[in-house]
Amino acid sequence: MAMMRYAEALNAALHEAMTDDPTVFVFGEDVATYGGVFQVTRGLWEAFGDRVRDTPISEQSLTAMAVSAAMTGTRPILEIMYADFMPLTLDALVNQASVYGYLWGDQVTMPFVVRTQGGAGLGTGAQHAKSLDAFIAHIPGLKVVAPVTPADAKGLMLAAIRDPGPVVVLEHKRLYNTRGEVADEQGPTEIGRARLARSGTDISLIATSRMVLEAEAAAEQLAGSGISAEVIDLRTLRPLDLGAITQSLAKTHHAVVINEDWGFCGYAAELSATIMDHAFDDLDAPVERVATRDMPIPFSEPLESAVIPTVDRIVEAALKALA
Amino acid sequence: MTAPDSPNAASPGTPILVGAASGEYMDRVVVIEWRVAPGDAVEHGQVVAVVETAKAATEVEAPCDGVMGEILALVGDEVAVTQPLGLIAGGADAPAPTPEPNTPADPAPREADDDARPGHDPVVRANDEDRIIASPAARRRAAAMGLGLEGIVGTGPGGRIKLRDVSAAVRAMAASPLDADAQAPSCFPDTPFPLRVTRTGIETGTPVLMLHGFAGDSSVWHPIERDLAAHHPVIRLDLPCHGRSPHDRYASFHDFVRPVLEAFDSLNEGPVHVIGHSLGGAVALALADQRPGMVRSLGLLAPAGLGVEVDSHILDGLCRAASPDSLAPWLLRLVVDPSHITDGYVRAAMATRAAPHIRACQAALAARLFPNGTQAFNVTPLLRRVVVPTRLIWGRADEVLPWQQALGAPGHVALHLLPAVGHLPHLEASAIVTSVLRDLIATAEACPGPPDTDVLTHEVHVA
Amino acid sequence: MTAAPATPQNRPSLDEHVDMHRLMVVTRTLEEQLGVLHKAGRTRGPIHRCDGQEAVGVGATAALDPQDYVTTTHRGHAIYIGKGLDPRRVVAEILGRETGYNGGRAGHMLVGSAAHGMMGGNAIVGASIPAATGMALSIQMLRQDRVALAVFGDGAAQTGICHESMNIAALWRLPVVFLLEHNEYGLTAHHSAQSSVPDLHVRAAAYGMPGEQIDGNDVVAVFQAVARAAGRARRGEGPTLIEARTYRMEGFSTSDKGGYQASEERKRWAARDPIVRSRTTLVDALGTARVEDVEQSAAEAVIAAVAAAEADPYPRFVPHAASATHAGPADRVTEDA
Repeated sequence: MAMMRYAEALNAALHEAMTDDPTVFVFGEDVATYGGVFQVTRGLWEAFGDRVRDTPISEQSLTAMAVSAAMTGTRPILEIMYADFMPLTLDALVNQASVYGYLWGDQVTMPFVVRTQGGAGLGTGAQHAKSLDAFIAHIPGLKVVAPVTPADAKGLMLAAIRDPGPVVVLEHKRLYNTRGEVADEQGPTEIGRARLARSGTDISLIATSRMVLEAEAAAEQLAGSGISAEVIDLRTLRPLDLGAITQSLAKTHHAVVINEDWGFCGYAAELSATIMDHAFDDLDAPVERVATRDMPIPFSEPLESAVIPTVDRIVEAALKALA
Repeated sequence: MTAPDSPNAASPGTPILVGAASGEYMDRVVVIEWRVAPGDAVEHGQVVAVVETAKAATEVEAPCDGVMGEILALVGDEVAVTQPLGLIAGGADAPAPTPEPNTPADPAPREADDDARPGHDPVVRANDEDRIIASPAARRRAAAMGLGLEGIVGTGPGGRIKLRDVSAAVRAMAASPLDADAQAPSCFPDTPFPLRVTRTGIETGTPVLMLHGFAGDSSVWHPIERDLAAHHPVIRLDLPCHGRSPHDRYASFHDFVRPVLEAFDSLNEGPVHVIGHSLGGAVALALADQRPGMVRSLGLLAPAGLGVEVDSHILDGLCRAASPDSLAPWLLRLVVDPSHITDGYVRAAMATRAAPHIRACQAALAARLFPNGTQAFNVTPLLRRVVVPTRLIWGRADEVLPWQQALGAPGHVALHLLPAVGHLPHLEASAIVTSVLRDLIATAEACPGPPDTDVLTHEVHVA
Repeated sequence: MTAAPATPQNRPSLDEHVDMHRLMVVTRTLEEQLGVLHKAGRTRGPIHRCDGQEAVGVGATAALDPQDYVTTTHRGHAIYIGKGLDPRRVVAEILGRETGYNGGRAGHMLVGSAAHGMMGGNAIVGASIPAATGMALSIQMLRQDRVALAVFGDGAAQTGICHESMNIAALWRLPVVFLLEHNEYGLTAHHSAQSSVPDLHVRAAAYGMPGEQIDGNDVVAVFQAVARAAGRARRGEGPTLIEARTYRMEGFSTSDKGGYQASEERKRWAARDPIVRSRTTLVDALGTARVEDVEQSAAEAVIAAVAAAEADPYPRFVPHAASATHAGPADRVTEDA
């Protein structure tokens, strides 16, 4: 058991996977000699040489290349520096990865990983602070994971690399420096399984990525008012752990869904609809959505804070559900 | 004896139920007072009866406009909270049914229930506006329990029936099974809505306005309200974030006072005597300051805002408590003599704050007004400016606000220090408090009118 | 340059040429049969015929080894046939039958057969370029004796991914061959309305890779150019751009109303029909009877394949497990349904 930073846990997973499997390679902008702008790939180039490559700024082709390289015997891991650049990858994901996995059936597998990081709160501005979860989780044939703890960062990264299909790993720029226990023998974390971050009986706060931390803080605040909030860390955005959600709703009958993407047509909207589909009769109040305001993310601190989901907004939504 | 669920009995009126006023922590109550008689016109929300569990009193309101019909539970009767206390005839022209006192606790109707029940057919509604609003979970549980939604009082937003409301009804039925189908539609309050006002007392004379303290509601005045009401019109206000007033967020004391001023203005009353306890005492002072001439006297019971310290542990504990068990220890900190805090008192107090939303709003309010064990606002300058007869009443054993905070008062303010009394003088020393307040009111009314000319003008307008 | 000759001067052999000729006839017959079926209302959706362009696809794939990869466009029938796919199963896929290479899920534009190295028709214009480039990266990572061939059109040459991929391929010396099948039109737009330069092979210079222009209606020329480029790729010398000039004799697709291709232009290109030119060469070497025999059996085989495929069953819908939205019991219920 060791205390590790989230970025270090991801690095440990990459290192381990590259050691175990010579077909794994890492490529992306600034990932080799510099070790990645968030230092997640630090030390890999020194250890694995040509299997770690700096690339030109060519996200569209790089993603398409990850798809076809994966179809022909390797396990590429592509870093897309900011989630805001994911729209550049969409043709490869939507028109290539998604379709050929289905059309060609068992003839090919597509074991590639796209790593990216999103999230606001560090003053990175409108083109470097988004969380475009819905764009990605919308695509059939892809798996999408979003680890919050360092242990899951390692576990889900290992699982993503070993998965036979495409997996997008959504990291968060404000999680890289968070610390947590990671077991020495930490293996893959099963994709499609949520984590119960905090047990409670009055309301379910269902969150993704860094919003889990905000939800935990909200739960703590609600406890001060005698409200017992359950916090569910979904960990996998697709396929969704439906059982974890319905079990929690059967207990609490109230839900707040929290996601850092935009609200309208967003991932939180999908969660809300899913709850309606599968747990309608358990609901004692409408599902409350907390998401980023439907507008570009501004730069200045007070403006940025006004746009992204906060503990206060989660508490407010919980109280509204419980009224 | 007429079975209350027979079609004939159901048609003459809408039942008066303890309903939401009971919360989910009471199951049986004793009727201690009827404030209306058969044939009286009643308005939706008017207090028609008072019921009591142990020493805690709860007022029961008319569920809709109409004419008071049959009284089913007489003063002194002990009844289940789901038992109708009486009936209100549908419109003003409807003949008042002959009063036929019933003994609601009588088990006989219970046996008749199953056969006489008109079935579980949904009540046919005239239009969509009458649709019962209930959560899916509440609907499912009510259906599983064979309970109609018609008689369940919704406590959610806009009167939505939530699981807790079904649970309360189920619990009450377990104590005294009642045919749910006999219960008529309840009237839902509109949202948004102004501060809750409860009027009692005689109709003439200068009204007495009562402002309760933090974490309370207008029911806390019960130990002294009956006596005052015998001599004055009494107006009790639920403060913002409390009781049945809106549960909003307030950034400051100033913010918090604003809706009280608005509520006072919309009462359209002439000058009043104001009695305030704790936070309500500070609000009373602000009211006297902001509406000079509209306040004829001030009775302040352990008012807030005169000192620095406040016991934040007690405030936090009150806000946090989510059950009678966790509430009781904190209520005991408010008194010297624990016999005042009976099981019934605790359950009644919990009933007024059962919704997590209320507790959370009050916690947020406490964080603003009383951060870190400190009173963040100071009304001492207001007290110095007050010219009307004013008295401070304080328990020497007050753990929330120490009585020494009264020592900053100016010389013209009288101070009554009560030995062996905690933060609730009106509960622990109701006789003395009543006598001091009546003396204060009598003194004020013996005085010539307020010196402020603006007010004299206003009085002319009112006249 | 190393001592090894860039192109074996004795290739294609006569036998190889006969085989290429046969495959061109198979392709042409297939296109004509599809035209007949379309007119009869027995096809579904638009079909993109490659009449007149057969030499590019057939010549290029004939120059590859069986383990080599190829990606192509929405107009890829000559590549499918050239890479060795069974015409009967190709037709079945085009007709949406269960017996097609992809069980009727793909249709004529997106056929793939990994066993043949046929890594996909691709109907996103330009997408075959990074696809082959990524396969070349895989080959390089795994140090395999393979090359990847990207077939794309003059329209695709104008995409951003074309630039990105050529830069990366040249930068990393990836074993990929870029075969630009220049048929003059991007849907209805003539190349002069799409490109700032009339000749596209000149762009190779910008990436520091060899570029050449060839007669795309000469199957032997295509074979030799691709064989040279594949040889360079295998030797680790990086990519090559080959611009094969040809012409689309039919419309963009079976739903094209036409009217934008001048009849003068069509006439000029019809005179350069790749099959006619190939036949002339072979008749000189083998005599008319032998060549007609090859052509007739090729055409008959296709007609039989079409008849057989038309009789094949349609597929039954099966949900796609890997596209699952939910993990756990609820989803299993859906799949069982």
